[in-house]
Amino acid sequence: MLCLGLTAILSMGPAAVASRAPLVAHSEAAHVHQPARVSAADQAIRLQGLLGQHSILAADLMRSRIRGDDSFVQAADAALGQNTEAMTGLIGQLFGAAAATQFGPMWSDHVVDLVAYAAGVADQDTGALARARAQLTGSEQELADFFAGASHGRLPRAAARDAVLMHVDHLTRQADAYAAGDHATADRLYRQSFQHTYDLGLTLAEALLPAADRATLREPVWRLRSQLGKLLAEHAALVEDVSRAAVTGTPDFDAAAESINGNTRDVAAAVDTLFGAPVARRFQAQWASHVEQLVAYAGATAAGQNDRKQRVRAALHNFERGLAAILAPATGGRMTPAALTAALVQHDEMLLRHADLYAAKDYQGAHEVAGQTYEHMFELARRLADGFGAQVAARLPRGGPETGQGGLAGGHR
Amino acid sequence: MQAYARTVSLAGLALAVIAALAGAQPEATARPATGSTTPAAAAPARADTFRSARTYPTVATPVRLRIRALRVDSTLQRLGRQDDGTVAVPERADVAGWYEDGPRPGQPGPAVILGHVDSRTGPGVFVDLRKLKRGTEIRVDRADGSTVTFRVRKVAQTAKTRFPTDLVYAPSLDPTLRLVTCGGSFDRTRGSYRDNVIVYADQA
Repeated sequence: MLCLGLTAILSMGPAAVASRAPLVAHSEAAHVHQPARVSAADQAIRLQGLLGQHSILAADLMRSRIRGDDSFVQAADAALGQNTEAMTGLIGQLFGAAAATQFGPMWSDHVVDLVAYAAGVADQDTGALARARAQLTGSEQELADFFAGASHGRLPRAAARDAVLMHVDHLTRQADAYAAGDHATADRLYRQSFQHTYDLGLTLAEALLPAADRATLREPVWRLRSQLGKLLAEHAALVEDVSRAAVTGTPDFDAAAESINGNTRDVAAAVDTLFGAPVARRFQAQWASHVEQLVAYAGATAAGQNDRKQRVRAALHNFERGLAAILAPATGGRMTPAALTAALVQHDEMLLRHADLYAAKDYQGAHEVAGQTYEHMFELARRLADGFGAQVAARLPRGGPETGQGGLAGGHR
Repeated sequence: MQAYARTVSLAGLALAVIAALAGAQPEATARPATGSTTPAAAAPARADTFRSARTYPTVATPVRLRIRALRVDSTLQRLGRQDDGTVAVPERADVAGWYEDGPRPGQPGPAVILGHVDSRTGPGVFVDLRKLKRGTEIRVDRADGSTVTFRVRKVAQTAKTRFPTDLVYAPSLDPTLRLVTCGGSFDRTRGSYRDNVIVYADQA
């Protein structure tokens, strides 16, 4: 059985083999931050973050396998391995060592199957594709059975199967579309995959955690932290995606641009919910300039225009101060303009560094910085969510409304 | 050997084999790449033409609430906060009201609609709200002609003295709906109910 497995791996070529590599040295920087004392709700958000990151890395790995970029394949594979290792560790912390022992190999097999699928697409090998589909179906069932079993009935087997199936479906369909040059579809699925897989983390946490922890996950403060983290983490991932397309000038640039614009609209809509349309419009004006400068930097990097890169940096400093001035009051002083500016400077610096490393074909370095940027978004999201939430809470209505006077609805006393 | 460790070992062995064969592998760029991903000659110029989104879709205000299971079909009055910090309630017992200082239905966050359970003269628009079951469909029509659908997740009854302001109103960015009315026992001395009935619904 082991020989058969190894043969199968070798027959897929280096890209597929590399997907076994992930379970190696742990790079702390590439993981979602874990505070010293971690609540179950914190860990649930970390699980969401790691699952979302898995979706991004898996899609990137599949795409690089399809375009035959082996250097990128190796780097994406290593990052995906660190993600798998972190997720396995977290599953152990949340649901016990036995669960982690079961989960780790299953998840690794899932990754191998996805890469095998991408290899089949790249090589236009219908036999390999059929085998990969069969393997994916098997691993979907295994994972669904694992999640359903671990939930002790709270997550029905069919629901678990549907969730895993949708995850795999998003990734395989985006690979199909990417190979066919249908980048609009590929990138639409890229976003859907991230969002669905991120949300899958909540579904699993709600099914597998004890009742008290499950209730906490639904508290508004935790939902706001989670949702803001999702939006900002996706922002970082999509800026990196469009920056890569800008650096290499690949035809997926327009689709990548539309994806980051979709995220920008979602972030602005979230600000509208929290603070109303006037603040959201001011926010989006600043945020849009920020994204444009980051893309311009990638373009200038590709063109070797160092003077232009310096101008972009200067423009970004204006953005950092301008956005901090808008957001600091919205946190009710919980984040000062200086602290917010510092956080935004760090964010921008990491994204610029990512573009530089990618342009230099240092794909391992680019993935490490991308991991740090992703993690940083969750830290910032938490601080902003707590500030925003407290600020909004101060203006919420007080007490239960008086919506009955007749005494028809209940007992009389 | 544990299955997990076996996988790692397999990966290590396979990598070693591949490393040994590395010289024999074709260069990545030499592979028959799909034409769709080949860099374009004028590529960097694309980045120069990029324009970020500077608007976002606005969600129209709600104008009508429909709950088929309860035979509820009501226009919506706009409600704000009163001077004492409590939420305003609909002027008429047969018309529901939307709290306009919060999210619009379908916008990220909890939209809140209030309605009377009854009045001194008869039943109100939300007289049967507590009978809603999990999964029941709730529709909200909006001013632009669109409709957003929610499904009931939970129905709860809580004392007004312990009204869960955060669970009802606090921002979460989840597109949800809350329906609120009165319930429980009736205090004839004060002429009001002691509890509130709250329906928590998620966008379908």
